[in-house]
Amino acid sequence: MDPLLYVLDLIVFIGIFGIVALSLNLEFGFAGLANFGKVAFFLIGAYTYALLSQIGVPFYLCLVAGGLVSAIFGLLVSLPALRLRADYLAIAVLAFGEILRLIVKSEEFAGGDWGITVSPAISLVGASHRVDALVNIGLVYFCLLICFIVVQLLANSPYGRAMRAIREDEVAAEALGKSEVKYKAQALMLGSAMAGVAGGLYAQYLQYVLPGMFMPMVTFTVWIMVLLGGPANNWGVLLGAALVQIFNRGTNILKDYFILPINPTDLQYILFGALIILVLLYRPQGLLKESRIKTKAMEGVRRARNAVKNKGSQ
Amino acid sequence: MTVNWAQVLFNSTITGSLYLIGAVGLTLTYGLSRFPNFAHAEFITLGAYIGYSVAEQAGLGFPLALVVSFLVTGIVGILCYRGIFQPLAKRGATIIHLMVASIALGFILRYSIGATWTWKPLYFTTTWSAFNIGPLRITGLWVWLILTAIALAILMHFILVKTKIGKAIRATSSNPELALASGINVDRVILITWFIGAGLAAFAGIFRGADTQIWPLTGWDIILPIFAVTILGGIGNFYGAIVAAFIIGLAENVGVVGLIALGLSTSYRIGIAFLILIITLIVRPEGLAMLFRRA
Repeated sequence: MDPLLYVLDLIVFIGIFGIVALSLNLEFGFAGLANFGKVAFFLIGAYTYALLSQIGVPFYLCLVAGGLVSAIFGLLVSLPALRLRADYLAIAVLAFGEILRLIVKSEEFAGGDWGITVSPAISLVGASHRVDALVNIGLVYFCLLICFIVVQLLANSPYGRAMRAIREDEVAAEALGKSEVKYKAQALMLGSAMAGVAGGLYAQYLQYVLPGMFMPMVTFTVWIMVLLGGPANNWGVLLGAALVQIFNRGTNILKDYFILPINPTDLQYILFGALIILVLLYRPQGLLKESRIKTKAMEGVRRARNAVKNKGSQ
Repeated sequence: MTVNWAQVLFNSTITGSLYLIGAVGLTLTYGLSRFPNFAHAEFITLGAYIGYSVAEQAGLGFPLALVVSFLVTGIVGILCYRGIFQPLAKRGATIIHLMVASIALGFILRYSIGATWTWKPLYFTTTWSAFNIGPLRITGLWVWLILTAIALAILMHFILVKTKIGKAIRATSSNPELALASGINVDRVILITWFIGAGLAAFAGIFRGADTQIWPLTGWDIILPIFAVTILGGIGNFYGAIVAAFIIGLAENVGVVGLIALGLSTSYRIGIAFLILIITLIVRPEGLAMLFRRA
């Protein structure tokens, strides 16, 4: 295979999963939600895109629609589910994702086991695969940039601070008038919208959707990205997304050069599992730590503290 | 279309028995360690493969396969708890971290199994006598499965009510601090529960494998219905699990009849349990627990 194309393909994958990782970071990193059904919203975006593009809707509307439909489902799921304990929520959304996969697998309109072919978002006449990949990089990273800016701005806004406060202590935050359910529902809705857009990008890039692409495994790959990179740190989760994808490709390339006594895919997931346990044991904050909250008031407090400290040491 | 309702009821009992055997370990460890162990799915799978190795590859027969697989998987359960979950809990991991760790452990076990036995489905070659009683079609395997579930229910009842360890399990599950203060070796109680829980998962794996096939996703295929049983029955509640297992078994088998009548795909069968799971979580997350004294 063309090595340059391989690298470009890797960059597209990092971008798409970077968006999903950012969305999980918003939900888990900032709002403390255990979304074990991330793949469900990725699936909704992908199938919305596929079905709409079949009837000739332009690609940007398909992407937006994927995000919207996914957000609506995110809201619908959140209404009953958010009152649940973390473990119940996790199990419920995991089951929700599996039900969705069953539906697209069984229903004629969604193509069943054979899935649907999807036309690429932007197809230039006579363009080579490399140019196609470059166009996709442009499209994916444009969406990634928007998502990154949104999550980054939210995280450092009063809104984001309220979200983190709820994550740290629900009761205390409620006592200060911050509605836990409202914030979490909004986080789940926005996160789902982002995952939906990523799903649409994924569908048009691969040019098909299949039920088998949306196994629970996808959700946990994204969890690895977030936990490894650093929950509540947007740069961290992007780093996590890149590392997981590179690692993924790496083990696949290695098998061409080394004769391993073990199937590389098996080895890859064994190592992923071990890695995540090690991260949880020895570095639960991930590679990049959550950055401190910066506000004028906090700066003032810090300056005053330093002043007192300096005085004391004189 | 005529429906053989006797067969539907009988099949419900088979499904329920399988889910009960699979769920007992999950509900006990969930109640004691206070997090859902998703790697329970892989305990089921591992049990199936070890059973297969003993019964088929070593040719030592089905009963011995059950015993060996119970012991080996039980020890794996203890090692997993000691090596991963206990250290995590000691470091103050949140329930979300414990859940993710259990999924990570599931990856390790599942793909190690795939690497050891390959991903090709395996089949037990033991042939079971099949016979008809009236309108019922029955195989020897199903009789064994139901008898095992009944024996398990009776045995667990006696263990939980009559023995010291059973009382200790109940005490620790309902109030760990108080149990510790009363001189119960909580650590040992938890280890024993993980041993029994994982061992019973192995039973479920062997029965499921003998009834259908074995592959590295054997356990994952039935883990969500097993979660449904655990939650519908009330977490940590053994008696609730018995009732819930048969409710879910009945719902699945009657549901299939309904799906056919509605002209829907029977692959939705597994979705019925998921739906019950979600509805229970939303409407009545404590499950049927209030119907029984906590056990």
